Amino acid sequence: MVANVKDKAVIVGIGNTKFSKDSGVSELSLAVQAVKAAIDDAGLKPSDIDGMATFTMDTNDEIEVARALGVGELTFYGRSHYGGGAATSCLHQATMAVATGMAETVVVYRALNGRSGHRFSGGVSGDITTADAIHWGWYMPYGLLTPASWVAMFTQRWMHNTGVTKDALFEVAHSTRVYGANNPAAFFYGREFDRAEYDAARMIADPLQLFDCCQESDGGSAVIVTTPERARDLKQPGVSVRGVAQCAAENQEQMTSFYREEFAGIPEMETAAKNVYEMSGLRADDIDAAVIYDAFSPIVLWQLEAWGFCGFGESGDFVKDGALRTDGRLPTNTHGGQLSEAYIHGVNGIVEATRLVRGTSVNQPAKTVNHALVTSGVGIPTGGAILGRMD
Amino acid sequence: MTTEDLKAFEDKIYAFVGREVCPPTPAKDAVNGAMIRQWAEVIGDTNPAYTDDTWAATSSRGQTIAPPAMMYVWGQEGFAVTTGRAPDAQSELVNLFNEHGYSGVLGTNVKQEYFKETSPGDTVVMAMTIDNISERKTTGRGPGYFFETLATFTNQHGEKIGTQRFKVLKFIPQEQPAAAASEETLQVPTRIASPRGHDNKWWWEACDAGKVLIQRCKNCQTLRHPPRPMCGECQSMEWDSIESTLEGEILSHTQIHHPKIPGYQYPLICAVIKLAEGTNFMANVVGCEPSDVHIGMKVKGVVEQVDEKTMLPQFYPA
Amino acid sequence: MSDYKTLTCADVSIGDKLPPLDIDITTGLVVCGALATRDFEPVHHNKAAAVATGLPDVFMNILTSQGLMTRFATDWSGPEAVVKSLDLRLGAPNVPGMVMTMTGEVTAIDSDNSTVDIAVVGENNIWGMHMQGSVQLALPQEA
Repeated sequence: MVANVKDKAVIVGIGNTKFSKDSGVSELSLAVQAVKAAIDDAGLKPSDIDGMATFTMDTNDEIEVARALGVGELTFYGRSHYGGGAATSCLHQATMAVATGMAETVVVYRALNGRSGHRFSGGVSGDITTADAIHWGWYMPYGLLTPASWVAMFTQRWMHNTGVTKDALFEVAHSTRVYGANNPAAFFYGREFDRAEYDAARMIADPLQLFDCCQESDGGSAVIVTTPERARDLKQPGVSVRGVAQCAAENQEQMTSFYREEFAGIPEMETAAKNVYEMSGLRADDIDAAVIYDAFSPIVLWQLEAWGFCGFGESGDFVKDGALRTDGRLPTNTHGGQLSEAYIHGVNGIVEATRLVRGTSVNQPAKTVNHALVTSGVGIPTGGAILGRMD
Repeated sequence: MTTEDLKAFEDKIYAFVGREVCPPTPAKDAVNGAMIRQWAEVIGDTNPAYTDDTWAATSSRGQTIAPPAMMYVWGQEGFAVTTGRAPDAQSELVNLFNEHGYSGVLGTNVKQEYFKETSPGDTVVMAMTIDNISERKTTGRGPGYFFETLATFTNQHGEKIGTQRFKVLKFIPQEQPAAAASEETLQVPTRIASPRGHDNKWWWEACDAGKVLIQRCKNCQTLRHPPRPMCGECQSMEWDSIESTLEGEILSHTQIHHPKIPGYQYPLICAVIKLAEGTNFMANVVGCEPSDVHIGMKVKGVVEQVDEKTMLPQFYPA
Repeated sequence: MSDYKTLTCADVSIGDKLPPLDIDITTGLVVCGALATRDFEPVHHNKAAAVATGLPDVFMNILTSQGLMTRFATDWSGPEAVVKSLDLRLGAPNVPGMVMTMTGEVTAIDSDNSTVDIAVVGENNIWGMHMQGSVQLALPQEA
């Protein structure tokens, strides 16, 4: 069953902090800077915010963000779980809150010192004592304890089943870096990158090499969601949430769903895609550009298949035809993605998808972007959203 | 220490500069193939210039050579050092430092220069002096002095074959609270263990005892792994387990290159294995070249002790 | 002998990276390395003696580290290269259970004397830098 919240919530403000490898400030500081930037972008005041949505992984309590910013009452606060899988889940939460009237103006935020503070690449450890640790316990003693290693395990099997090669992984890695090289906010700004450098880079967990993996970054990103009525009075053209969904599929584990009949695939994203299409009344053909969660290069390929831009196993040829490039079928990760702009857990992706619809991306495609797709991290419960111009 | 005391102490130590630690002394054994081979095996150095007579005969050198890094090895005193070293100028200097509280010792730099290669049959002759002593320095370890020995090496013909400069810091160790010291004794890392709770403790305890179990629903007999409290097929909470034969086939695999985690042995291969019983299982593959691991490969597991604290199933090529 | 190739200066550029080398630090390597270099200091073969100095276990002696450093360089250059010098700054001990990763890069080339300088770092995965320094090799003149 798909609840219909089509066009009941509108993104009216976006904000990023500076992205860096050492912010020198607290995560709370990054969070309030990002939220303030989004509020300013929208032409709102902090006291206009009455709802918040963030990640369970975020260390910034809603009430701390609210007090620091001078937000008054909050009538909605909800968190989404599962790492980068939470990116569009936060948008999902905000949309539900706004559509039901639980809140009028909700800010989605994520801020982290992902490089100078806790680094995900360090892996999970026995120090954590949550129930989650029991799950990681099936992998830690064997040394399978970093995100790259989990994704590598899926990638190896998916490449084996489909025959897709490293050429396709390189195209994902290269296309985002070309975008990033043109984005002054990106780590890869002004940086050259070619196949020789890609091939020469250190192996992380085979088949993934260094440039198949995203950055680790310090920074924050925020977007503000409100009702269509309120949106009409604000500074920016509204970017409407046409459809949004989240899904945890059968036999799901966090990053280690190795116990399915076949694990070369992301059924949770297929379900989310089906539901977003149904809610929005749109199809893959209607999507003009995309921000596809790219913690690692191969996961972009799987998502292209899950969202029906091509069939299973066809994403390699799809991208090698230049589909992800600015003049291609589906300009993707035009900010440089998490591979080349910064890793803000996908919320910087919602910011970029909003820009694509507004027409303000630093790498804006020549064609009109009526609809942009934005997705969450995969290998975990995930989701996505289609954004379009507010009527 | 007063300024006068310090001056007196420094006068004494600086008097050691230029003193001979040992006169030119021929090594007890000539350069020889047996010691070279042993060194090459342990270091893992397959350079044919050291151990392959046939290759060496046709090389530009015409014969095998000793690894240059063995230059100092030939003159080593030997097993006697286990019960202490014979007194010499260096030990006198060290004792003088120790008596004045500079009991810490840290080798900081070693530089060798090589002028001429040696081959089996050559005799290495070593002489050593105390070359220089620094002024008093404040270091991260504590206040101290660097002293440097200079060893010169010649062959049986009197030709200079190399030098070695070895720099040592003698320092006053920083005061450390006695209690903290014992806690800070560093542990050899072991693999990260799984936490153990109600739903998995029994499984890991069986693993400690050398068995891999698979949880089985008592009601509908469905196997499940990893263990969980309820059967997803029939919702029964009654379960027992069977022991796996650990025969299986690789469904996917990855070699972990980076980061290298303390306590793990590399190369490290992780694989998802379909066990003969039908459940999937993640474990390490060992006993073959990483490049030999492939999807569809038949493997057979055995529970082994992988470090001081850890029993784990490890899968070998079947 | 045709199996073995040795680089010449013409094959090498400043900035060239040597293939990284991972060394598993095992008790066997520490103890046998000490014996193979006639270094019978108890801290390299007797755990109790090493523990008394505040370390958790026996630790690698300098001569073994020097050997690994020259091996790393000549594995890359080939067997006709002549090692001219080895300059090491010593850091954290190598103790069994660790992995030391050696990386290196060409920093200077002197074509007149046919020598290359290589900067080498050996870093273990627990305490960081074990040794850092340079190796100078004389490469054969071009044929």
